[in-house]
Amino acid sequence: MEDNSLNHQNGAQIGGPQTVSVTNNKQNEEANPKAQYSIPGILHFIQHEWARFELERSQWEVDRAELQARIAFLQGERKGQENLKNDLVRRIKMLEYALKQERGKFHKLKYGTELQQGDMKPPIIDEACESQMDIDQSYVAVSNSTWKQGRQLLRQYLQEIGYTDRIIDVRSTRVRALLGLNNNTEPEENHNGSSVNGNESIKRASETQGRRTPAKKPQPSSLAEAMMLDTEAAVMANLDFLSNADVDMEDDDDMSDDVDIEPTDDLDDDVKVVKRKGKLDSLGDDVDAEAMEVLNELNLLSESGERQEFKNEHSEWKKGFQGGVPKRPLGLNDDDNIDSALGLGELAQLTVNNDAETTYDIASSKEAFRKTWNAKYTLRSHFDGVRALAFHPNESVLITASEDHTLKLWNLQKTVPAKKSASLDVEPLYTFRNHTGPVLCLAISGTGEFCYSGGLDGVINCWNVPNSNIDPYDLFEPDVLNTTLQGHTDAVWGLSVLNSRQHLLSCAADGTVKLWAPHSKVQLLNTFTSEQDGIPSSVDFVRDQPNRIVAAYASSHCVVYDSETAKSVMRLESSQDSVNPNNKQINRIVCHPTLPLTITAHEDRHVRFWDNHTGKMVHSMVAHLEAVTSLAVDPNGLYLLSGSHDCSIRLWNLDNKTCVQEITAHRKKFHESILDVAFHPTRPYIASAGADGLAKVFV
Amino acid sequence: MKMADGSVILRRNRPGTKAKDFCRWPDEPFEEMDSTLAVQQYIQQLIRNNPANIDLILKMPENQDEGVWKYEHLRQFCMELNGLAVRLQGECHPETCTQMTATEQWIFLCAAHKTPKECPAIDYTRHTLDGAACLLNSNKYFPSRVSIKESSVAKLGSVCRRVYRIFSHAYFHHRSIFDEFENETFLCKRFTQFVTKYNLMSKDNLIVPILEDENTPGESEA
Repeated sequence: MEDNSLNHQNGAQIGGPQTVSVTNNKQNEEANPKAQYSIPGILHFIQHEWARFELERSQWEVDRAELQARIAFLQGERKGQENLKNDLVRRIKMLEYALKQERGKFHKLKYGTELQQGDMKPPIIDEACESQMDIDQSYVAVSNSTWKQGRQLLRQYLQEIGYTDRIIDVRSTRVRALLGLNNNTEPEENHNGSSVNGNESIKRASETQGRRTPAKKPQPSSLAEAMMLDTEAAVMANLDFLSNADVDMEDDDDMSDDVDIEPTDDLDDDVKVVKRKGKLDSLGDDVDAEAMEVLNELNLLSESGERQEFKNEHSEWKKGFQGGVPKRPLGLNDDDNIDSALGLGELAQLTVNNDAETTYDIASSKEAFRKTWNAKYTLRSHFDGVRALAFHPNESVLITASEDHTLKLWNLQKTVPAKKSASLDVEPLYTFRNHTGPVLCLAISGTGEFCYSGGLDGVINCWNVPNSNIDPYDLFEPDVLNTTLQGHTDAVWGLSVLNSRQHLLSCAADGTVKLWAPHSKVQLLNTFTSEQDGIPSSVDFVRDQPNRIVAAYASSHCVVYDSETAKSVMRLESSQDSVNPNNKQINRIVCHPTLPLTITAHEDRHVRFWDNHTGKMVHSMVAHLEAVTSLAVDPNGLYLLSGSHDCSIRLWNLDNKTCVQEITAHRKKFHESILDVAFHPTRPYIASAGADGLAKVFV
Repeated sequence: MKMADGSVILRRNRPGTKAKDFCRWPDEPFEEMDSTLAVQQYIQQLIRNNPANIDLILKMPENQDEGVWKYEHLRQFCMELNGLAVRLQGECHPETCTQMTATEQWIFLCAAHKTPKECPAIDYTRHTLDGAACLLNSNKYFPSRVSIKESSVAKLGSVCRRVYRIFSHAYFHHRSIFDEFENETFLCKRFTQFVTKYNLMSKDNLIVPILEDENTPGESEA
């Protein structure tokens, strides 16, 4: 700098270097107002000024272009996410529709009548998506410098998630193995299609270039251009795939068609591979391909926030993503260039593959509960077997009832500060004491305000559920016990709540089923008995017909009663073998929350399904290795949870009656093991209660 | 394990079982109990057969780990003490029994709080039982029910001392409840014999005069 200014002072005639800074220039002018103006000096000055303005102008252009690119990138990103969302929504609709049709078909085949269910219109698919796709493409095309930024960002992400070399190798070999099977199925068509794509992308790229201000440094620009092209190709590959998938979904909702997409896209990519090999500057295109893939995955992940029902699945995905998505050397290694084209092919394929997996998952599992449940909380504090448990309707709170004569309230979110004597992560917040014998059953009202417990002492206690943030060693408040329902003369074994009317149903070993309105003056509403069946073992309200109740009897039959007339309306009987009815004793009965379906758990290891309209058994399956003791249906009516004395709980897909997961949860005491299971009505918790005195909560 | 086909006895309380039939199944010899909860099963089986036969109930099977034996007995005591607490809830109010006392000699402070507190008797009872439940189920001190660390066995003594005060309070302040409960369960007597037998409490602390007026413990009251 000093040199430059010296130059000027001594006479601009010499023609100072053009890189002289603006400020210096001005200083010089002011400093030497009386300097001799010479023609070369003036010329030089004008030249210099011009160069300066040009420089500034080009800087502004660059800035402007960058900002525009950024805007375009962000918009493109948004569009991409919207597209994905639309795509997923459409898939859900298709699946719902397919399910409805299947149900209808099934129903028709089974009963010869049309099943009445909501709208049977196929979901309307909006065509707007296609045009959006085009917009996306042009957006992406603008973004040259954005991609540099984007790459930077993604590089960071990738480093954070530990994208390692080895994983990608493993993965790519896997993919290669997968693809080896159907590589050469439809070469011609796809070749054409993809080359069109390729041409388009080139055209667009040159357009973009034309719009740009002539850059000062030609070489980097062309490098960037090449990168852009590759980027675009990658983007095209992905978008292309998306539209392919969409078309496919529209044509046919059969999921198996996705398989066809794979080779198609694979060939697509192969074509691009050929093209790219001709290029010198394919630096970083593998990075771009990865970027796209990661972007795709990230998009999907961000979707999960919005879409509650996909949450579980995505969390699983995320796990797979963190663990399984590979890392490439992200520096622009020249060595990689030879392979990069191939790498792109594979990576693009990976994206496709991933998506196909998603589709498969959606198809097979009904999203919401596609996850593995893991034991998270062990609730230890009961001295004897836990007979029953129930979740609070909306909080992370549950109540357990035990043979040690007590009930306990637990807040899963409140970890009690560890005192010197306690190292548990969850401690009971409150112990309900009033039963004088083992507590056998439990129910919580729909508001979470009350809980009801029935015991061997024949008493039903109605409790006000204490605040879930209560101090466990607070003072005793007798009014926690709201009221007691006296009427049964023997052990109360089953309770069920009807939220809409605040009614409570109980069954007891005295042979009666009683309907209560616990919080009104006349508490006992009705009594139901069945002479021929004897002692009821479990009861429930028929959920789709609020004035019906169903009681299961030790005789292995169920009786549906009208709750107002107390008359038996229907019997659910499995008549085929009544050789030893004792072995078929029903241990638990539950009604499906939405369908006219009743499910029973039997001592003979079976779970049986009944149609509430016809009274016929619609399905019977051996569900466990030993007596099935408990059942719970998830709030959406898609999954069934069963517990058994074989120490395991099993999760069943209600649709196809297959076991989705089995968890060994409790130990035996005498010949009893699991005594109750439950779903949280609104949160992703399941729980089991065992004869070993423990309750476990799974997330 | 096979389904009950007549030859295999399944010891289960199936839904619908009458109260009188609850846990009423043929005894299972201790040697045949293969569960991790065998000691609890065995103790409960003995109590169910005859709660008054304290000597038999407290007679430890051969080759049994003494720590586990004491631990399981104490769990059973705390569990059964719930019954006494339920009865006390109806009569022992914070207004009348403002402090945990037995004789006038001591006021017991409730150890469930960060700083021991003068809880009313009923709260002392509840807090002590709740605290005992937490301690005896603590994964830190009692992670297993088949073997127990020596350091954890040492904790049993303090639990005994605390829960014994529930007996003494009931005896000195709610005698009718105490008698009624004792006649049914023989719990205080069993407890006194238990802590004496295993030296879990000093004799001075056993203030309920329950063994003195019994020359032949067990049989005479049954």
